Amino acid sequence: MNRVNPIHVGVLLVALLAFFGLQLSIAKEDLKNEQFLYQETLGLATQLQGLTVAYGDKNAVKKSIETLLNNSSLKSANIERKTTASGIVLASNGLDKTALNFLMSKVLNGSYNVASLEIKRIDDKRASLKMEIKW
Amino acid sequence: MFSKFNKRVDAIFLDKNSSDFNISESVNVILSPSLYWVKKVSLPVKRLRDVKGLMESLFEDILPNGVYSYFAYKRDDDFYIFAYEDKLVIDALRNKGITSSQVNNVYFAQSEFSHVTEPIKINETQTLYEKDEILVVVPSTWVSNAQEMDLKDLTLSKNSVALKQFSHLVNDKSLYALGATGLLLLALIASEYFITLQKTSSISSAKDEVFAQRGLQSTMFQNRALLKDYSGTHERQTKLRLYASKILNLKLEKDVYLSLVELKAQKLKVEFIGVKKSDELNIIKELKSQNAQFESTLKDERLRLEIAL
Repeated sequence: MNRVNPIHVGVLLVALLAFFGLQLSIAKEDLKNEQFLYQETLGLATQLQGLTVAYGDKNAVKKSIETLLNNSSLKSANIERKTTASGIVLASNGLDKTALNFLMSKVLNGSYNVASLEIKRIDDKRASLKMEIKW
Repeated sequence: MFSKFNKRVDAIFLDKNSSDFNISESVNVILSPSLYWVKKVSLPVKRLRDVKGLMESLFEDILPNGVYSYFAYKRDDDFYIFAYEDKLVIDALRNKGITSSQVNNVYFAQSEFSHVTEPIKINETQTLYEKDEILVVVPSTWVSNAQEMDLKDLTLSKNSVALKQFSHLVNDKSLYALGATGLLLLALIASEYFITLQKTSSISSAKDEVFAQRGLQSTMFQNRALLKDYSGTHERQTKLRLYASKILNLKLEKDVYLSLVELKAQKLKVEFIGVKKSDELNIIKELKSQNAQFESTLKDERLRLEIAL
């Protein structure tokens, strides 16, 4: 006698559908999360790459500062430089107005991480400078 | 009438008028002619499977309204074709105290008693009688030489049917269609599931490639922390440049001059000398236009500004 109950078969089929439907839903959610994470990683990588080049490239910052200090406008200013593991410290006790303007315009228009700065007026034409740039 | 032949029965004879039967094991059921319709036909086909398509039409216009199942077997050159209502048989079984699970196989009296030439007594009032090679139930008073029914030594044929318990609710075609639709859906969902897994895996691989190619730290936590650090630096440096530019471009009165610019602990300190109240207001106005957060103190014409970066 045919003992296969169609209701049992139907329930089994519905249960299987529900099970796979649930698994599919979980898989879709995982896919969505993975896509989100991928986009986030991509965006984060792009941002990090740009910011690292701007602030974290030790050699590039070092080379750029050296080039700047070797400029004829600053050469005569005798700016002291002291390189540390985390950055470079520039100091001068009598920087003339033109050199100061030149230096500051280059630093502020460049992508340097200025960690500390002190400019003190000495007289109408000169000022003292102490600046630390980090990488 | 329902015949009970012994306590441990292998086969029972089921008729609409059967009395209740108490069984403990599964049994084979032989249906009385009162529970089915039968036709003996000669058809211009040789194989049984060719007949199956014709069975329904052969009973057309004969059967009362109902949901019928069909069965056929071949004997010599003739085909015996049966029509029966599953629900009617199942109800008859249930009424006699037999559940579906106790039924092993179901046979027709026509196929199981075809070898018997003499009438067979079902009970005191009813007898199986063969007329034109078709077994029918007749009143016992019509026949005088009826034999007792003996199912003990009866060898059952292979012509059995399986009862469909829900044939009256859903016909086979609908059931198969529903089943096929369900299976199709299942296949679709399963394939979509595996495709989704594949997509997730390829995106995960692409993400790993981004990590390797862009030289990222090994975890997103580290990368997020690094980005936060750099973003903070970038924000402070942008503000420093903005406020420094504003301060250095201020139009100061003749006797006012900048004496100190200091950046320390994320604060920009600026000192002006020779500042009067009206000058202070102008300087503050300029800074406020940049939405800067600052504190100012004016003492002895010395204006000190402390701007948060």
